[in-house]
Amino acid sequence: MSNSAVSSSASRPRDAATRCAPRLGLGQALRWLVIAVVCVVVLAPLSLVLYQSLLSAPFFMQDKALGLDAYRFVFEDPDFWQSLYNSLAIAGGMVLIAVPLGGVLAFLMVRTDLPGRRWIEPLLLTPVFVSPMVLAFGYVVAAGPVGFYSQWFKALFGLDAVPWNIYSLTSIAVIAGLTHVPHIYLYASAALRNLGSDVEEAARIAGASPFRVARDVSLPMVMPSMLFSGVLVLFLGFEIFGLPLVLGDPEGHLVLATYLYKLTNKLGIPSYHLMAAVAVCLIAITFPLVLAQRALLKRANRFVTVKGKAGRQHALSLGPWRWLALAIVGLWLLLTVALPISGIALRSVVSHWGEGVTLTDSLTLDHFRMVLEEDNLVRAILNTLGVGVIGGALAVGFYTLVGFAGHRRHDFASRLIDYLVLLPRAVPGILAGLAFLWVFLFVPGLQDVKSSMFSIWIAYTVVWLAYGMRLVQSALLQVGPELEEAARSVGASRARASLDVTLPLIRFGLISSWLLIFMIFEREYSTAVYLLSPGTEVIGSLLVSLWATGAVDAVAALSVINILMVGVGLAVALRLGVKLHD
Amino acid sequence: MTKLVVDQLQLSYDSTPILKGVSFELAAGQVVSLLGASGSGKTTLLRAIAGLESPSAGRILLDGQPLYDASANFNLPVEHRSLGLVFQSYALWPHRTVAQNVGYGLQLRKTGKAEIRERVQQVLDQLGLGALAERYPYQLSGGQQQRVAIARALVYNPPVILLDEPLSNLDAKLREEARAWLRELIVSLNLSALCVTHDQSEAMAMSDRILLLRNGRIEQAGAPAELYGSPVSLYAAEFMGANNRLQARVGRREGDKVLLQGEGWQVAGQARGALSEGGHADVVVRLEKLRVLDAPADNAIRARLVTSMYLGDRWEYLFHQGDLRLRAYGAEARAPGDYWVAFPPGDTWAFAAEA
Repeated sequence: MSNSAVSSSASRPRDAATRCAPRLGLGQALRWLVIAVVCVVVLAPLSLVLYQSLLSAPFFMQDKALGLDAYRFVFEDPDFWQSLYNSLAIAGGMVLIAVPLGGVLAFLMVRTDLPGRRWIEPLLLTPVFVSPMVLAFGYVVAAGPVGFYSQWFKALFGLDAVPWNIYSLTSIAVIAGLTHVPHIYLYASAALRNLGSDVEEAARIAGASPFRVARDVSLPMVMPSMLFSGVLVLFLGFEIFGLPLVLGDPEGHLVLATYLYKLTNKLGIPSYHLMAAVAVCLIAITFPLVLAQRALLKRANRFVTVKGKAGRQHALSLGPWRWLALAIVGLWLLLTVALPISGIALRSVVSHWGEGVTLTDSLTLDHFRMVLEEDNLVRAILNTLGVGVIGGALAVGFYTLVGFAGHRRHDFASRLIDYLVLLPRAVPGILAGLAFLWVFLFVPGLQDVKSSMFSIWIAYTVVWLAYGMRLVQSALLQVGPELEEAARSVGASRARASLDVTLPLIRFGLISSWLLIFMIFEREYSTAVYLLSPGTEVIGSLLVSLWATGAVDAVAALSVINILMVGVGLAVALRLGVKLHD
Repeated sequence: MTKLVVDQLQLSYDSTPILKGVSFELAAGQVVSLLGASGSGKTTLLRAIAGLESPSAGRILLDGQPLYDASANFNLPVEHRSLGLVFQSYALWPHRTVAQNVGYGLQLRKTGKAEIRERVQQVLDQLGLGALAERYPYQLSGGQQQRVAIARALVYNPPVILLDEPLSNLDAKLREEARAWLRELIVSLNLSALCVTHDQSEAMAMSDRILLLRNGRIEQAGAPAELYGSPVSLYAAEFMGANNRLQARVGRREGDKVLLQGEGWQVAGQARGALSEGGHADVVVRLEKLRVLDAPADNAIRARLVTSMYLGDRWEYLFHQGDLRLRAYGAEARAPGDYWVAFPPGDTWAFAAEA
């Protein structure tokens, strides 16, 4: 792979300095261009949100004035405080549920002889790749008051009503907690895998029983990662939109993101200034959490300085307990994956459902037929595929350029990129979509962009910038610095070395990133909500608007199609041996 | 007094045998080194004694009490063996301070807080770490981390201390100082120690006895001088020291005196093991045993000096004679040209050529 670099310099033994100078300039220019683009796409929408929040009316109105009116209005609205409380309660509940469960799952999967681990692993991660909107619909049609399982449960036990209520605040927190277990699992399992067995053996030698080893050595060493992922889940708790939108609606439970969404027409005119004020409040909560995460990660990495030989880890034998462990894992999978997905799948093939309807009489494929007859729904399917496949590839290309701009540099610009990349992470998707909408409305000449799929793509790409960068950077770090230095020393410029040595070596990493970004883009919904217009329909945003109109049949069919798209991506990824996490 | 007995120990990973029946004894106050190339089974043997690997046959006794006995189906869990083990990677717990690392073993033994503090401080002082008790491992240099690892293994007075490549993570300069320091520590505390190493000079400097392992068996056991001065096999001879190796035909043989012949040269040597007249032999002679002379001498080969290398305390010469390459040491600088290289017959060892 590095042959080209070798042959090109060996065959032309001319003066290295004169040959490299112009190329270096081109590479440099490209780098600064990329940095400038990142600055603009990250900072422009955010500054606009901040600016809008300080106006007394939407920015396009004539009679706007600078001031804190918007904040005053929001802070005087009891609904705002209620939704802030709800967000806190849900986020806290999620941490309490997801952290212990995720930790236990990681331990069972990595360190014990739990039966069927190979099969459970990909299933564990499905909630990450299935849209929360879809999961929420799934819960409604499966376990809602007239859901499939609720009806069967009532019939089985002769009850008038099911003894649970999925629309309560507690239920929302529980469901959100269960569906965020994979986030904890990913970090906890990685930490457990990286934990060298020597430190545990050292404790055994010193006289500690296996239980004491777990308590005194393994757990404290995994703790930083658990803490890190705990903060991540706390932060995601403030971001969740789909679950509370669907499940919170019947009883009117609002969280910050849905409060913002419902504000749209509170005053009769577009209440952009109020939304912006809420948005700034939301970011004021999430950005410190993102910074805390960064600090925690640094602290966690401190523990890696003394690198032990990760010897053969012996799986802990669970004996007869493994069936109990398997039952716990199975129950979680049943509640979090099987229940909602089977519910939505079933709902997509029945004509109607309710009290006294039998399943066999109402089976139909009409909903799918209907979806394929509606122009905007077909367009949504094609657009979703397009933004996933083509948009995903372009996004990975962009992430790679940004990655190279900061790769093995320690100057001001690379630190700037580091922080710029973090910023969109703190912005919930629904907010980012809104901010981009404003940019397209605000900046003259961008109106045409607003009604093209380009608007969706750019919003998606920026929202997932931090995630995509992590994928690309971990691929880049796999390439030993000496391989690049060797290319530099035989006369390649920095850009040339990147192109001829690094890029070919990270090819597989980039293809993996493309697949993962594809799945993420298929699943994304909240970012596209405010950018929905004729021509920019994607399944995610259509689900939100169709749900609002009560078109359950179309919602169910589109959800199943969406799951299938992600499923194909997942199957290909597993087939290629793509690591679903780092 | 015998401290540790290992008797016919066997161990396999899956179906690959790693230890094929190893037996040795470690006397109280002795330092024994397990020396061998990578894959010889030396680390596995150490870990089996520590209780971190499961042997399939044989016995391990400590002070006459079994740690492992295949015939009785007995295997004492690691944490009940109370041995001290110093890991190659040190395996310090990064989330605990130096004092907490060292004191952990005492804490597990239900020692009182005040006594733990006192004993930890005592062992840290002993190892020159007195001021570092509250530091975390990542704040220490490699040499300091190694001392903490040793302190942690010593603090509860284990009957035997096991060291896995204790010096390999230190840089070359530090390693020689640490070697002397470690030997002094072991001797002054009268420890019984078992030490794994792949470095022959480290093994010789550190230990009272060396066990040379090869493919899961003991090739030769004995005092360092024995292994260096009278190796029993070609493998043992080549493993120790810096050597010239020559291929030769076996000429006349009388007792252990043997005449070795090559293309245009012949020297008298010592037969080690079965050698038959007319057969092929591998000849090993240590570099420092060859003498370089300006004039013809007894049992010498005339050879051309190609180049000399200055090593500080001596010179190393490279000679050519036909296809033969010979290296030798000497005290003075020599100009290229023809010299006589003399072979001492008693230190010119001939082994039957391996097929």
